[in-house]
Amino acid sequence: MRMSRRRAVAATAVALSSVLVLTACGSSDEGGSDSAEGKIEGTVDFQTWNLKTGFKGYFEKLIDDFEDKYPGTKVNWIDQPAEGYADKLSSDAAAGNLPDVVNVSPDLVHPLAKAGLAMNLEKAAGKYRGEYLEGAWKSHELPGMDGVYAFPWYLNTGPMFYNKGLFKDAGLDPEKPPKTYDELFDAALEMADESKGKIAMLGGIPAVEDFGRYGVKLMKEDGSGFSFNEPKGVELVTQYKKLFDAGALDSQALTNQAEATGRKFKQQSVAMNPGGALDLEKYKKEAPSLYKNIGITPAVSNTGKDNMYVMGVMVNKQSDVKPAAVAFAHFVTNAENQMGFAKEVTIFPSTKGSLDDPFFTKEDGTDEGRVKVASAKAIKTAVNYTPAVFSEQMKVVLRNEVAKAMQGKKSPKEALDAAVAECDKLLKTA
Amino acid sequence: MSESPVTDRATAAAVAGPAASPAKGAAAGPAPGGRPHRKVRTHLPGTPWLFLGPGLLIVGGFSLYPFVTTVVDSFTDRRTLVEGQYVGGANYQELIHDDKFWTGLRNSLLYMVGVVPLLVILPLLLAMLVARKIPGIAFFRSAFYTPVVASVVVVGLIWVWLLDDRGLVNSMVTGLGLDRIPFLSDSTLLLVSAMLVTVWKGLGYYMIIYLAALANVPRELHEAAAVDGAGAVRRFFTVTVPAVRSTMVLVGALSSVAAFKVFSEVYLMAGPGGGPGGDDTTLVMLVKQTGTGLSGRVGYASAISVVVFVITLGLMLLVLRANRKEDS
Repeated sequence: MRMSRRRAVAATAVALSSVLVLTACGSSDEGGSDSAEGKIEGTVDFQTWNLKTGFKGYFEKLIDDFEDKYPGTKVNWIDQPAEGYADKLSSDAAAGNLPDVVNVSPDLVHPLAKAGLAMNLEKAAGKYRGEYLEGAWKSHELPGMDGVYAFPWYLNTGPMFYNKGLFKDAGLDPEKPPKTYDELFDAALEMADESKGKIAMLGGIPAVEDFGRYGVKLMKEDGSGFSFNEPKGVELVTQYKKLFDAGALDSQALTNQAEATGRKFKQQSVAMNPGGALDLEKYKKEAPSLYKNIGITPAVSNTGKDNMYVMGVMVNKQSDVKPAAVAFAHFVTNAENQMGFAKEVTIFPSTKGSLDDPFFTKEDGTDEGRVKVASAKAIKTAVNYTPAVFSEQMKVVLRNEVAKAMQGKKSPKEALDAAVAECDKLLKTA
Repeated sequence: MSESPVTDRATAAAVAGPAASPAKGAAAGPAPGGRPHRKVRTHLPGTPWLFLGPGLLIVGGFSLYPFVTTVVDSFTDRRTLVEGQYVGGANYQELIHDDKFWTGLRNSLLYMVGVVPLLVILPLLLAMLVARKIPGIAFFRSAFYTPVVASVVVVGLIWVWLLDDRGLVNSMVTGLGLDRIPFLSDSTLLLVSAMLVTVWKGLGYYMIIYLAALANVPRELHEAAAVDGAGAVRRFFTVTVPAVRSTMVLVGALSSVAAFKVFSEVYLMAGPGGGPGGDDTTLVMLVKQTGTGLSGRVGYASAISVVVFVITLGLMLLVLRANRKEDS
């Protein structure tokens, strides 16, 4: 059977154009507004970040309560795994399929807001501002942009866990763990010396929040660029280099991720590790000999303020059901529902007054209770040191440059200058 | 199995084409066997396209379109959430001055050089071992093939635990009174460790290919060589190798493309940053690092992808050319 060449070309063109239509990425309509006026109704797509496994019951009740409160609404809950969450968001956003309400962290909000995909809640829901802790509300402000781009949701901070047995073996006082960086560096060097480099005080190189806790100024006042190459930053990297050379940092510190440092702490080859109540539970089950020796202390800080991890809930500016989406995002983050969530898992509400609840102020005699009360106390003054514009790419840049300083391939100053230059470049193209 | 006369005729007509088929509109008379003819239409315009259509759609949508888009994007400053502007060859110029690109290129090439010879030779030796028909050999064939079907993530994690400075291998090393080997903290050893995992995981796959090739080597050739006094080594080089030479070329081509595009093993062992200071980053890892996420530089990552494609294509052409030369 034969087909004329012209017909063949036409058929191919039709097939290919169908493919192009089918696979074309939806270009984003940037015409969304920041108004949430209108009737609260319709189907709201709500995306969480790896919460379905542990808290299915809590969220199903939350959704039922919302649908009962606002008849005519329906919430379609989507949960995404932790791994590759930013990639999933980016593919949804690029394809124009971003859900109406999305669980985000400040660094994820920044590119979405810049692309016109996150609603300015200062405009759309400013009336709720007074319900939240001031610092938490501001955590989703973005440099160079007016407004707030997500409701603050749960907060977290964590103490440092330390191994009293290893402290004792190294001749350190197990009841007096280091509180400032100077104390930490001294103790780390002593431990490395005593154990002949077999036991390291820390499992990883400093991340951006460590620079913050050390007292380094991370960004320029006007938010136009980074400044962690200032003398204090150089001093921090220089100190870490000394630790690395002495074996006071784990030998794989240059590549270790959080999971790996946790594993090393469990193996008792690393003496200090940040964590939270959930980790304590894990140590109890998986490393009972470590658990017998575990000490809990506030995170080492020169500023007196701990690091705060912030989660938020943003509303898609291009949502077709904005009034319902804003109402739902507020409902998820209101005081009552945040408190309910806090009772399910050790997180801390970002709503005013919630942290004064006896649930966060009275110890119940358990180690988990101790961690919870200590963390709740710390979170009142904690600071989110990670700038909202500090993307994953920037974290890799900082990590790799600091590693080069540790290896002696660059001086701390050269490494940080290079990191700042690269991060500034990424900031401009973000 | 014989087919019915009607089917046979229909097939013959279809094969012969329009000239062999009855004229359009001709009445279908009774078949010689007395059964009525089934009207067979062999000149339906567009029928082949109906069959080709789904395949073309899939290839066009999932291979051709992304490929063309990647090439186009490589000439723009496109980012994940921002449409790009045409920037000419700026991305390619930036590549030339980007240390990370050269590190990636060096590592990808090193990976290929380190892995391919092993993946050409070792599976052949393994295949010769398990090609023998002895009781229980199926168990060994399956055992050697198991890593191929195991998830690369699981394999990567297992090897990370094994090679950790407190892992099984280092425990044995220190048990012998030696110093720990920094498999995962020294950038060179880390790359070598990742190569080891790639070789270990790929052995079974290529072994199966060689097994099929070895099955076609005439037994008489070996017997004749043996009668002539050739030992095992001589028989290997004079009989086996020439007989499986084209398979070796195929394995070399497949493994070099795979090795040049390596991602998972290095990513799992060196971490998302690409090892200490990014020293173990490969080109495909660099594509992931720069082009993904909400702030990904899609245009720049596309330029790296195009370079990877060109090099891979070049490799394939080189191998094919070398093979053709040998054949002639």
